[in-house]
Amino acid sequence: MKTLIKNDVELFFESLKGAFKGHLLELKIISPNHLHLVIEKDYLTIILEYISGHTELKSSLVTMTVTDERHLNGNFKLYTVFSFFLPSDTNVLVTFEIALGKENPTYPALSQRLPSADWYEREIHDLFGIIPQGIELDPLVLHRDWPRGKHFPMRRDFLLDKQIPISEVSHEFSQPHGDGMYQIAVGPIHAGIIEPGHLRFCVIGEEIYKFDAQLFYTHKGIEKMAEGKSIEDVLNLAEHICGMCAYAHSNAFCLAIETLGNIEVPKRSIFIRTICLELERISSHMADLMAITSSGGFGFGASHASRLREMIMRLIHNLTGHRFLRGLNTIGGLKKNISDDLFQILFTELEKFKNQFQEWEKLILNTDSLLDRLESTGFISLKMADSLGLVGPSARGSGIDKDVRRDFPYLAYKDYAFKVPVYEDGDALTRTQVRIDEVYNSLKLIKKLVEDLPSGDIVSVVPKQFPAYEHRLGIVESAKGELVHSIMLDTESKIFRFHVRSASYMNWRGMAQATMGEDNLKNIVPDGPLVNKSFNLCYACVDR
Amino acid sequence: MWVKKGVVTEKAPVINASDFETYKIDLSRIQNLNFKERSALSRSLLVRHLDLGSSNAEEAELLALSNPIYDITRFGIDFTASPRHADVLTVSGPVTRHLKVAMERTYAAMPYPKIVVALGDGACNGSIYKNTYACLGRVDQFLPVDVYIPGDPPTPEEIIKGLLLCKIILVKK
Repeated sequence: MKTLIKNDVELFFESLKGAFKGHLLELKIISPNHLHLVIEKDYLTIILEYISGHTELKSSLVTMTVTDERHLNGNFKLYTVFSFFLPSDTNVLVTFEIALGKENPTYPALSQRLPSADWYEREIHDLFGIIPQGIELDPLVLHRDWPRGKHFPMRRDFLLDKQIPISEVSHEFSQPHGDGMYQIAVGPIHAGIIEPGHLRFCVIGEEIYKFDAQLFYTHKGIEKMAEGKSIEDVLNLAEHICGMCAYAHSNAFCLAIETLGNIEVPKRSIFIRTICLELERISSHMADLMAITSSGGFGFGASHASRLREMIMRLIHNLTGHRFLRGLNTIGGLKKNISDDLFQILFTELEKFKNQFQEWEKLILNTDSLLDRLESTGFISLKMADSLGLVGPSARGSGIDKDVRRDFPYLAYKDYAFKVPVYEDGDALTRTQVRIDEVYNSLKLIKKLVEDLPSGDIVSVVPKQFPAYEHRLGIVESAKGELVHSIMLDTESKIFRFHVRSASYMNWRGMAQATMGEDNLKNIVPDGPLVNKSFNLCYACVDR
Repeated sequence: MWVKKGVVTEKAPVINASDFETYKIDLSRIQNLNFKERSALSRSLLVRHLDLGSSNAEEAELLALSNPIYDITRFGIDFTASPRHADVLTVSGPVTRHLKVAMERTYAAMPYPKIVVALGDGACNGSIYKNTYACLGRVDQFLPVDVYIPGDPPTPEEIIKGLLLCKIILVKK
């Protein structure tokens, strides 16, 4: 069996090498299923041809990161990571590294033919002043009042505390105008307790014709803050990117550092981390389900969902001492041990939760008024979801069979199989059903893990020195979907570059598309909040 | 069936005189505060929340206040959709560059006396967020803050206590 897999990967390497012919400068093998290719700058687009010629590999863009390595080798460097699914159920990550030069860095843009790369390239242009050639570069991360083409905050020569004065330029939306067409502006300060973002509906009668959003209001420059800090400090910072996905961020960062330093996490820590990740997933899904039922006009269901969520929050508090699982992880394990008695309490309490959740599920899936609101609302087709690169429950609701826990297993997911729920209709109802199924799967998984919980050490020895200037990834499945942390350390083992690509970052464009609807499955204005909540994206994760 | 189980709401937190020292750092704006005046607690309080760049943990805890276990409306406290109806402005997170204008406009739209509550470590002291090109620092550099509710994020009980204190301040202001 093993030789077969090896051959499969080798064959894939050969065909990839063949596609790049003489333009391949260097090839490194980071791990058995992670390749690192250094290629010539002008030939990055060859990968697009390779992907369109090999659709059976189901490749997708994982992340795109730029580093400013001008003091090292006089170059900005672009790291693009793709995932490939080989026929023998082996999944491979491939990092493409290109050097962009020092003055006026440019490269041929990917997003012309790969729509999921659009936001990455606009962000790279905003923060680094690198120009992807051949596309329109609207501002994304920095708003319109930022002086264009002068200051690039993520370059190393832009000082940490340098600030640019705020001017009175506001954002202009390129919206269509015409008879009977009007615009509804929402935000950035919303009526409810949600995070800030400006949404713009262009409406004919009651039907939504076009939808656009201005995000990045809570952009704090966390990636800039991280530069030059110690690993433990940045772990703390990573936990404070987002509250709902705090533990997923923490694990993604730890995973990236642990792959870089070849640190083996003790068995007990692996299990506890996995249990806590699943608890966070349940808590996040309950918040989503509460938001969906409340936006669908079913207050009774929402009220009970919020009560069930509080149950989980208190279990987490009881188990770890923090309601958002902050301060539990450290590189190489856990900061503190959790006694077996607490897990026994968790075990019995989750049984109670499960019984109540079953009744709640029966309640909402038998309420016609709610189902009527959910069915065919916020439709997004498989083709559209795939081209925009959706991840997580939103993708699984549109028929994309994708889950990092199964495809690139980490922690205890390596040894425990579970079912990935996939529904094909692509509307708000299927996204709700995916979440309900995942709550059950998580409960099952926690039960198995608590039963098999090993004893022993909780933290392993961490080396003082890590390899310098090596690009590494930490990929985990947060409750909202695939979460990717890219890290690079300098020679003193301080953070040189920290990049976060959250699940919501990919799903935002899917949400905008679903609000507009497709073909004859259009939405009306009151559907807007419901579509929004059926994705329930974190703004804090996106904005950083 | 558990739906018919009855009341799950928990008792209100008890406010002690020492809580003023925890929550009220800036006492200069309120003179002759008489804590024994309990009648202040019988009034209603409308709250407008403003996220100025927090991680969304503070928002999640505010949402939790509306669940049947904490049920904040029994104290006469409710969240409003507009700052024009608000007695209290709760703010969370360090002020970001992109939200500074929105923050000033929201504050200007509030009726007097404007009570501002800094919610969470990010708003109270900037937390671990350093000042960068996009992050401008803690809230009291921009708005006069009356009550500080520290925490990472503060628990729902702590937020309820802080908001009940706002009622007493509202009478005195």
